[in-house]
Amino acid sequence: MAALELAGIRKTYGRTVALDEATFDVRDGEFFCLLGPSGAGKTTTLKVAAGLAEPSVGVVRLDGVDVTDVEPTRRDLAMCFESYALYPQHNVFDNLAFPLRSPRRRMPAERTRQRILDITTLLGIDHLLDRPVTQLSNGQRQRVALGRVLVRPASAYLLDEPLSHLDARLRASMRAELKAISGEDGTTTLYVTHDYVEALSLADRIGVLDAGRIRQIGTPREVWSEPADTVVARSFGKPAINLVDGAIAAAGGVLTFVSTDGALRLPVPGLRTSPGVRAQLGIRPRDLGLLRGAGDLPSSLVCFDAAIYVLEHLGRQTEVTVRVGAALLSLVVPREVADGHVLDDKVVVTFDPAAAHVFLPDDGGRRVVR
Amino acid sequence: MSGKAGLRGRGVLADLVLVVYFLLSLAPVVFIVALSLKSNAEQTSTYLRFTPTLDNYRAVLGIGAGESAYLRFFLASLICAVGAVLVSLVIGVPAAYAAARFRFRGSEGLLFTLLSFRFAPELVVIIPLGVLYQQLGLYDTYVGMIWALQLVTMPLVVWILRSFFQDLPPDLEQAALLDGYSRRQAFVKTVLPLVRPGVAAVCLLAFIFAWNNFILPFTLTSSEAQTVTVSSLAFLGGNQVRFNLVAAGAVMAVLPPLVLALFIQRYLVRGLSFGAVKS
Repeated sequence: MAALELAGIRKTYGRTVALDEATFDVRDGEFFCLLGPSGAGKTTTLKVAAGLAEPSVGVVRLDGVDVTDVEPTRRDLAMCFESYALYPQHNVFDNLAFPLRSPRRRMPAERTRQRILDITTLLGIDHLLDRPVTQLSNGQRQRVALGRVLVRPASAYLLDEPLSHLDARLRASMRAELKAISGEDGTTTLYVTHDYVEALSLADRIGVLDAGRIRQIGTPREVWSEPADTVVARSFGKPAINLVDGAIAAAGGVLTFVSTDGALRLPVPGLRTSPGVRAQLGIRPRDLGLLRGAGDLPSSLVCFDAAIYVLEHLGRQTEVTVRVGAALLSLVVPREVADGHVLDDKVVVTFDPAAAHVFLPDDGGRRVVR
Repeated sequence: MSGKAGLRGRGVLADLVLVVYFLLSLAPVVFIVALSLKSNAEQTSTYLRFTPTLDNYRAVLGIGAGESAYLRFFLASLICAVGAVLVSLVIGVPAAYAAARFRFRGSEGLLFTLLSFRFAPELVVIIPLGVLYQQLGLYDTYVGMIWALQLVTMPLVVWILRSFFQDLPPDLEQAALLDGYSRRQAFVKTVLPLVRPGVAAVCLLAFIFAWNNFILPFTLTSSEAQTVTVSSLAFLGGNQVRFNLVAAGAVMAVLPPLVLALFIQRYLVRGLSFGAVKS
């Protein structure tokens, strides 16, 4: 086990900048998730950490020791490739045994066998040991690839989308399994994913990567409730956070967000910015509600008029899109709240102003602190 | 199911074309085999109706009638062709791997130079090469012949295997590196087994090219290292022209590449090793 640190990593391929000044550290025993869309530089980050790609600028440290020029073989890291990278000439058992039989480890045959049995049982692939990997489904291959990492002790695990090709049910159970494993043996793990649910549920800390830049690093709670900017805010949640264009005005001495067409006005006291700046209001769909009837409105909630634009019934919940002036807002409400509404119904939308975020589009979408 | 019927209709036509092509391409082979079985009297006067005889083979192999240099030439051909293929493999496999995986200064230029050996006609270099060989003492030696023939086989090996290596995702070697293997071990254990079909194919091709080469042994050897392709000329010189002996020699000279092809065929089936890696 070891702490992994990437400092000021810049990686260019020709003129393309894959990583730009990426700096973060994974603490000893920590489960660190890198979240980002495809092409954000996640895999490049892993390859730089593993030593498979040389950073153009920057330093990689393992337990404080500069390993930037150390061969991948000598870094004692285990990596799960997004392409699985299983050895097609071997069966499942030999794939898993490959790292254990390496000249660096030379594990005795009996222990190798035991270790592989333990891991494959855990991953639910123990019945496939004699199968050539070419005859496995993608989900099975992915579990073999994950098994090849977990089967051996290493300073740190580097996992590149290890659950992406499992079907939804299996992914959920593997996620739980992975969390249990990582909690148990506490191996430092750098985990790359594009799935925010995975990141939120697995990670001790999350780094949000976009277009080669790390936008924010924080605990799941921090990146969710205090997003650094609109990119981070939009990375979490489905439907994505609502962003309404507008500006900050001073109404009666209180800073107020006013949408571009004036249809949405929201006082946001304590905002550390000045009147007149362009702004975006961010409201998460689940922080919005629909008002039913009258007189049951808690005083902390704000409400405004809207019209139903789209209704999508998804089991117990309903995704509603409403129009407020020119802006469209998504919200998720319990089924019974939305029942009876039809398109173009006039409704009253409620929400807690404390849950609203204000971003400055002229400042890279930075969130304004209150 | 009209689409299927249409396919079948096209299939008949395609089969017919194939049969015609097959007969056409087989004709010279039939002709040579027939010629090799004809007597002197019949060799120029008949087509397919003649009295077959094995005398030509006996004469070429020197059975019952003094000695024959044919087997010696045959052996020389074998040594030179196998030697050239081995040299090309030992140097060409690592070269092809390096060319596929690494970009270094001048790598493209180097590869192009190598390829240019193939499209420059050998006749262009043959005279200076002959003079050089005379002066260096390589003329009419196995070493000289192998050296010359690898000019033919090396570009084949490097260019064909390079594309095989490029088809393999680098993830495999990288996984092996992280699994605790050195670069060389990763290459030997993960990459090499996967390009085996490619190596087999290129071996066969290189061998055929080296074996069939005429102009290099024709100008660079006289007796010691002379190959079977050149030796046939002896039957055409002097006071008689023995096409039937040339044919018998040629039929036997086809055997080694043929046997090799049959032996290697099963390795030529590609695709079996590909597919365990998500594309």
